[in-house]
Amino acid sequence: MLPSEKRSLVRFLAIYLLSTLLLFALASWIFYTASKHDIIARQKESLAYEADRIVSQIRALHRSTADTLFYPQSSIVKSAIYDLDGNYIFGTLPQEQTLKNSRKNLMIYYTTAIEPYYLGAAYLLVAAPVQTAPIATLKTYTWWFMAAAAAVFSVLGYVLGRLFTAPMRNSIETMNRFIQDTTHELNTPISTILTNIEMIETFGKHHENSAELQRIAIASETLSRIYDDLTYLNLNHRYHRHILPLDISKLVQERLIYFEAMIHAKGLNVTTHIASHVILEMDKNDAIRLIDNLISNAIKYNRPQGVLRIVLHKEYFSVSDTGSGIAKKDIHTVMQRFKRIENREGGFGIGLDIVLQVVHHYNFDFSIQSQEYHGTEVSIRWQK
Amino acid sequence: MAKIALCISMMIYCLQAEILHVNRDILQRHCLTCHQEQKIPSNLIYKRYLLKYSTQARIEAAIFSYLKHPEQQHSIMPSAFFLKFPMKASLSLDDATLKRAIKAYVSEFSLQKRLRLKKQ
Repeated sequence: MLPSEKRSLVRFLAIYLLSTLLLFALASWIFYTASKHDIIARQKESLAYEADRIVSQIRALHRSTADTLFYPQSSIVKSAIYDLDGNYIFGTLPQEQTLKNSRKNLMIYYTTAIEPYYLGAAYLLVAAPVQTAPIATLKTYTWWFMAAAAAVFSVLGYVLGRLFTAPMRNSIETMNRFIQDTTHELNTPISTILTNIEMIETFGKHHENSAELQRIAIASETLSRIYDDLTYLNLNHRYHRHILPLDISKLVQERLIYFEAMIHAKGLNVTTHIASHVILEMDKNDAIRLIDNLISNAIKYNRPQGVLRIVLHKEYFSVSDTGSGIAKKDIHTVMQRFKRIENREGGFGIGLDIVLQVVHHYNFDFSIQSQEYHGTEVSIRWQK
Repeated sequence: MAKIALCISMMIYCLQAEILHVNRDILQRHCLTCHQEQKIPSNLIYKRYLLKYSTQARIEAAIFSYLKHPEQQHSIMPSAFFLKFPMKASLSLDDATLKRAIKAYVSEFSLQKRLRLKKQ
């Protein structure tokens, strides 16, 4: 899966799942609350039945002529009778229990009026512990329902996401195929042009048209480099790397010579601080792609007669230019493949993508700092 | 200090017992003697008051009101009751003594005092 497709899919799934699950959570919560009330209402119904039973026993007690009146007791519920002013008369509930504070958790209460006032009781309060087992079962079912809904909607979201990103995936694949074909077709003519320029230079036939020839040489080298970049991308790391100790100092010097004609054509002032014997364990082609792309970008996006500053240190490598810089809003997207901040300069927008691939492969640290209209500095720190 | 508190508590208890005894005596002399002679069911009368008025204060107020003006329409008892038991004459007791007698009556026939929990 392409990184951009993956990103879009993740974003879509995040929004889709979040909104769907939120809706389901709300529905589940309403269902849970309603069902819980229903369970408690059923428990209250049994309390009402017990209350009726106790009232009829109280009625019998009132009529009794016995010296001792035994208050009706139940193993299921506790109860108490209260007079017309709400004062506790008697019962199995504690005396501190009033009619008004019967709202405690884990207990359900039922109050019924008694008319006429048998034993002087105007109210009967009946209480029983809430039966938590059915509520716990309901809670478990609700969670399972939520989990099942999350699973179903995740699969559905993934399928939908893949369907939605299919056009984007097709476009990118078409572009990649086009680049692959173009690269293949470019190889022979570029090699021919470069070989012939070298032959003209070797046999000294270039005196009369040296400026034109140099321009052809620069253009051909640019084409050659684009070809190398595209080949690198097409291979997509599937080639065998020769990881060897590589003298980066020497390589940077060599690549500067390679870019000499382009630098000269743009009239750039080059400042270099290249530490000697900076040795890194890496593949030479990776190192060339990294250095070339950074220098090439700095030349391409520099202003004419600008400054190109290259610093190589044991810990980092940085390339800075005095070009138009990058707007703050674009700084995070500039590394994406096919992303081009400026359209007036040529290219495919793959340079920094290649740089990032190399950086990630070797676990380097990449940083970019830019000030619009002043310039850009790109740094690679060898050790994170 | 504890001894003083104990003494005061004992004194209050004795005083209350004495008051109850005195009240009970007033009740016996001015009310129950006649009731017992004429076999008027005092406990049933109390139960009717309890059914209608619920609280002790309301019952005492209702009895006081009736005893001040003993008429059939103010009585808690049904009219058939007076076919068997004649309407009593108004008591000559002062209000304070009457109230003490009523209090003793309510205490004497209280059903709530007889309520117990069966040991399980």
